[in-house]
Amino acid sequence: MTTYAIEAKNLVYTYEDGTKALNSISFRAEAGKITGILGSNGAGKSTLFLNLNGVHTPESGQVFINGQQIPYTKKGIQSLRKEVGIVFQDPDNQLFSADVYRDISFGALNLGLDQEEVRRRVDWAMEKTGITHLKDKPTHALSFGQKKRVAIAGVLVMEPNIMILDEPTAGLDPQGVSAIMHLLLSIRDQLGMTIILATHDMDIVPLYCDYAYLLSDGTMRCSGTPNELFANPELLRSNHLRLPRIAHLMEILKKEDGVQTRGPVSTISEARKELKHILQENQL
Amino acid sequence: MGTDRYAYQSRLRRLDPIAKLTLSFAAVVICLSCGGIWTGICTLIIMGALTTLWGGVRPRVFLRFLRFPMAFLMIGCITIMVNRHPADTPVLFGLPIGGSVWGVTSGSLTHGFGIICKSMGVIASVYFLTLNTPMTDLTFALRRLHVPQLLIELMDLIYRFIFVLSDTASNIRTAQHSRLGYVGFRRSITSLGTLASMVFLRAWSKGDQVYSALESRGYTGILLTLPEEYKKGTACYLAALAVVLIQLLCCFLEVHFI
Repeated sequence: MTTYAIEAKNLVYTYEDGTKALNSISFRAEAGKITGILGSNGAGKSTLFLNLNGVHTPESGQVFINGQQIPYTKKGIQSLRKEVGIVFQDPDNQLFSADVYRDISFGALNLGLDQEEVRRRVDWAMEKTGITHLKDKPTHALSFGQKKRVAIAGVLVMEPNIMILDEPTAGLDPQGVSAIMHLLLSIRDQLGMTIILATHDMDIVPLYCDYAYLLSDGTMRCSGTPNELFANPELLRSNHLRLPRIAHLMEILKKEDGVQTRGPVSTISEARKELKHILQENQL
Repeated sequence: MGTDRYAYQSRLRRLDPIAKLTLSFAAVVICLSCGGIWTGICTLIIMGALTTLWGGVRPRVFLRFLRFPMAFLMIGCITIMVNRHPADTPVLFGLPIGGSVWGVTSGSLTHGFGIICKSMGVIASVYFLTLNTPMTDLTFALRRLHVPQLLIELMDLIYRFIFVLSDTASNIRTAQHSRLGYVGFRRSITSLGTLASMVFLRAWSKGDQVYSALESRGYTGILLTLPEEYKKGTACYLAALAVVLIQLLCCFLEVHFI
């Protein structure tokens, strides 16, 4: 039986100005997997995350962690914050101290751990995120990608079961994107952490997400493995998204040139395998 | 920006900030309270040597930083040295204007020169602290010295977000420049006004976002952080003692023999 690290049922949230940001959202993230929340700007991703972490309190709906319902009481919110860590899109909103080490230590100290344990965790988180060499630098001297890593370390230090990342690849250069995504893979594989990431960078979805949801206008439109979602490109397009480039290419090849593939193709390695197969068939 | 860049590279960066604070503070107090020309010069030399030789700050950097206050001091001291005297006062040099003479007497010269030396000594002592201690270490030291928590947190946050806001401001300014926002006086004034209001609005919304981010990491009203472990400041305390003794000796010699 699959276990779900976090599950939300019928979450409704309305902002003070009357904007309905979440319209009865239900979703769940399998433990130890990367779950993508795909949505265009303003779809409600960030609002959803703030609800899951207890910064916002939903009007109605429930949140379950490891199958157990967490009430939005003071104690419940505390345990939500302990279990669910959020890495915000703009690290400048998250890093509040000019000292890297002190910023990372913040979350761990809030858990009420003793100094020794905090130091151990800070060192560990810095090593995990590859920023040990940055501890002697002030926050404002770091590059955007480095700040992002510090922000991730600042959440890792709390050793949450679930880590939510809001647009982790936004603003990074191509190599920065793959470095951050590999970091997330290693966090998933080595620590068994459940990762939820919001993105509209469609090319990373088939590479890194185990499962994905399509969120638009505060409603979950559909869900499935990345390839299941890509089987319905029109739905993606009507929600201001698109297929990954490779999947798009294969779609055109299929439609315009009658190239038949054996299964869904949405990554470079899948495309390579498929093209080699087609070439070999033609040579015979 | 400013002194902070050097502080992060200093060899004394990891030394207990309270020890550095003590050394700097002791030197300032002695220099101010019994300072004359020679105590000032002596403090300047010792603290300069400590900053450059011990802290590893390049002498050129240290001298460059001394230049800024020097300019202010010069202007300030001219007004102290030059006074109006009765026409028959023996002045070193001066101009008779009306019924009196405006000029410098030997007394006012010594007085002004004394102030310059004393000030430079104090400034060098403060530079020892600022060029070797990053701001965040300093605020942590202040916290351990029981300065009110609220004050410390404000200092930390303001210090961090100065950089974020100045980035924002310079980006907006560049964007305005690129659309000829600063051509002509009237337009410059308008653009500057827009810039100021935009920075204010951004700061406002940033504040909200930062608060959300803090909350999500378990913020409950106190910004608790833990700095990296510092090296023991014994050497620094010994240095403080030595500096104070030398200053006092200087002062003693100055009073009795000069």
